[in-house]
Amino acid sequence: MTVQANGTSAAPGAGAPPRPLARLTDPRFYVSVAALSLFLLVPLGIGQPFFTHIVITICTYAALATAWNIVGGFTGQLSLGHTIFYGIGAYTAALLAIHYNVTPWIGMFAGAAIAAVVGVAISYPCFRLRGPFFALSTIAFLEVTRLLALHEKAWTGGAAGLIVPLRLGWEWMIFRDRVPSLIIAFGLLVLTLLVSVAIRNSRMGSYLDAVREREDAAQAMGINTVMMKIWAVVISAALTAMIGTFHAMYVTFVEPAQMFSLPFAVQIAMFALIGGVGTVAGPLTGTLLVVPLTEMARVWLGAGATGLHGFVYGVVLIAVVLLLPHGIVGAVGERVAHWVDGLPGGRRRRPEPPLPALPPAYVRSPQGRTIGEPILRAHGLTKRFGGLLATNNVSVELRRGEVLGIIGPNGAGKTTLFNLLSGFLAPNDGTVEVIGPDGAVLRPRQPHQFAAAGVGRTFQIVQPFGQLSVLENIMVGAFRVHPKVDEAKALAMQIAGMVGLAEERDTLARNLTIGGLKRLEVARVLAMKPRILLLDEVMAGQSRADVERSIAMINAIRESGVSIIAIEHVMHAIMSISDRVLVINSGAPLLEGTPQEVVDDPRVIEAYLGKEYTHAHAH
Amino acid sequence: MDVFIQLVVSGLLLGGLYAVIGVGLNLIFGIVRVINFAHGELLMIGMYLTYLMAGQWGIHPYISAVPLIVLFFALGAAIQRFLIQPLLDSDPHVQIFATVGLSTALMNLALLVFGADLRSIDAPLVREGFSVGPVRVVFGQVAMFVVAVALVAGLHLFMQRTYLGRAIRATAQHRMAARLMGVNVNRVYIISFGLGAACVGLAAALLTPMYSVFPTIGTYFVLTAFVIVVLGGMGSLWGAFLGALIIGLVDSLSGYYIAPDLKEVVYFGIFLVLLVVRPTGLFGLGRGSE
Repeated sequence: MTVQANGTSAAPGAGAPPRPLARLTDPRFYVSVAALSLFLLVPLGIGQPFFTHIVITICTYAALATAWNIVGGFTGQLSLGHTIFYGIGAYTAALLAIHYNVTPWIGMFAGAAIAAVVGVAISYPCFRLRGPFFALSTIAFLEVTRLLALHEKAWTGGAAGLIVPLRLGWEWMIFRDRVPSLIIAFGLLVLTLLVSVAIRNSRMGSYLDAVREREDAAQAMGINTVMMKIWAVVISAALTAMIGTFHAMYVTFVEPAQMFSLPFAVQIAMFALIGGVGTVAGPLTGTLLVVPLTEMARVWLGAGATGLHGFVYGVVLIAVVLLLPHGIVGAVGERVAHWVDGLPGGRRRRPEPPLPALPPAYVRSPQGRTIGEPILRAHGLTKRFGGLLATNNVSVELRRGEVLGIIGPNGAGKTTLFNLLSGFLAPNDGTVEVIGPDGAVLRPRQPHQFAAAGVGRTFQIVQPFGQLSVLENIMVGAFRVHPKVDEAKALAMQIAGMVGLAEERDTLARNLTIGGLKRLEVARVLAMKPRILLLDEVMAGQSRADVERSIAMINAIRESGVSIIAIEHVMHAIMSISDRVLVINSGAPLLEGTPQEVVDDPRVIEAYLGKEYTHAHAH
Repeated sequence: MDVFIQLVVSGLLLGGLYAVIGVGLNLIFGIVRVINFAHGELLMIGMYLTYLMAGQWGIHPYISAVPLIVLFFALGAAIQRFLIQPLLDSDPHVQIFATVGLSTALMNLALLVFGADLRSIDAPLVREGFSVGPVRVVFGQVAMFVVAVALVAGLHLFMQRTYLGRAIRATAQHRMAARLMGVNVNRVYIISFGLGAACVGLAAALLTPMYSVFPTIGTYFVLTAFVIVVLGGMGSLWGAFLGALIIGLVDSLSGYYIAPDLKEVVYFGIFLVLLVVRPTGLFGLGRGSE
């Protein structure tokens, strides 16, 4: 199964619990429904067109901010050019209605499709840019789009814009009364929220977290990180374009300066940031705070005060950034959730639903100790970094059920070899073959392809997903085997117990000690149930007792049939777990043999300590 | 051919103008590693102040450059101390939005106070033109170019020769290592932001007699300045200067040979291609995709 296919199938409702009735009585559900329905009921009750107009504005902006949050928050790619998609939705529907009499209900989806394609085209080359550079590139794309739209007067209307023909009725999405527009705006808000919830509570949400936190580690977990980001952009762009279509029909006018506006793009992101980036409720909360605030200020100071709303936005944003860096939801969200969970039917009032029972992930078997046929073959691996030959013609063969230890002095090229064996580096010369369970010879290239072929690795310099809890970290790995959330959780619990992290399961990974982080590295990769395990100095920094426990655990894992390659400096550990030891020095294999043969060889002592030492020792 | 020479000369002189703005942005970007999205709004405020000083007290804009440089150094230092410094260890999102918030607030404050009207002043000499061979130049543009060269050369000497300059360069290369060597990193950042802002104050004084002031003029110049910084490479003074000259040339030539309303499309296009192909910039040492 590829990650690409998972991305699509995982999105809608993958996290739904098995009993629908339990969901309805959960206050998190009924409180949300009640709160959201106020957006319809209050304006209908008040019945004042201006008030209804403000609620429509809030729904539209909140929906835009929620759609933005899928890329800007969940994926962590700060887009300040999202109005490109808004404008595409607006222009597509308007042009189709003007020239071809096509209803905006169809134009909406046409715009969404075009926005999705444009989104992929402009974000694909920019994904390797981080932080401010990605933001700058989105601004540049937006400016280019706006200037081109202004230039192409023939079909965009240029600076003068285009007026959407005033054909009333549901078919044309244009109404004399404001209520039908309110219903559509509300529907779009609910749609974006549902999509956000579905992503958040699914494997895709976990994968996006992993991609945002650490791309390398995410790839090692088997995530096709580029595809994951592309899916996020596609979903976000399509939703944004649909909202653009509605808004164009609501204001019945499209012009480049408004549709592809940079200040508006910044505002959308601003709402999400004020409310809480990366949370489902944040963008709505931010909009709900800021838009009424500016409307009130406008009433107090009179309509003549142009620039007032922008001034309020800016000041609120600075205040939030300095005082509540995680936004409003980040600051009070947990307290609200705690209170809601205490309501009748809430999570605090009923036992946690049991996780599905899974068979133990690693079962010792008598065959586990027998060494079988080759499972991984690397031939003639060579890697140059400029003039430095980091790996020189190294060949490695690992057999089923075997533990191969790799030792060598610092800078010998051990970690480079691991990077070659897991796809993080492409060799200048040589091949890596993985033999599949059915005997087929696989030649993976990208890290996520190695993971799919059953190769799991840890990193010597730990790569935790710092903002996720220990359990969520392990679940990222577990999703490889169990796409369903509760099953992945059950497996993650099991693995946390195995490596001794059960008690810290709700701790944020960035708060773990170095020993805990090393164990988390192992736990995450074990949750992937790899057939081949590459362990890079997992015992460094562990206490003596923990080293003994790790040795016992590695022995148990190998006895369940997993083949292991381990780099280690803790000599007594490598001697006790390895069937075979490979010594690497200066990028080339020095010798290979049983642990005893290796420790007795003078060349090994020389490689580690230098010639003088061997000579002094010999005499 | 005469047209071409004229365009090249105008383009280079325009590049001098961009250089003064771009060098300031690049100082902040290269050293503090924060993109100052409010840079353009600082420029706009400087232009309004120049406008007010000329209108109220009849001060020539070139003279008002002196108080503006001092004032903007203080303003930049204050922004760093009270807005950026508390956020140094936060997510890059948060740092970006701090300056975006400042930018939005300042721009709209100007709209509230001055309205959307264009305002301009008439300063003696600045807009007068004279001929050098076949080429006509405007005095104000030549002054701008001379100031740009002097500014870059002066900053270069400062960075190379003084202790503070070395401390700034060390901090730009590695914040932790500089701190371990006894550099007061927070002070270096405050000074660097101050210097970057002071460049804007200088630019504002030189710019006001040639361009009209309005609340969103900063956006126009700052987007160009971003292009220059990425083109020249993060943290490279001469890179920013050369980047500014290149953009000046592109601006002038594409405005004539392609279409006046598409010249920005051309250099934003260059910018995007460069970001994707060579994020370190043409002359830079920094890393765009670290």
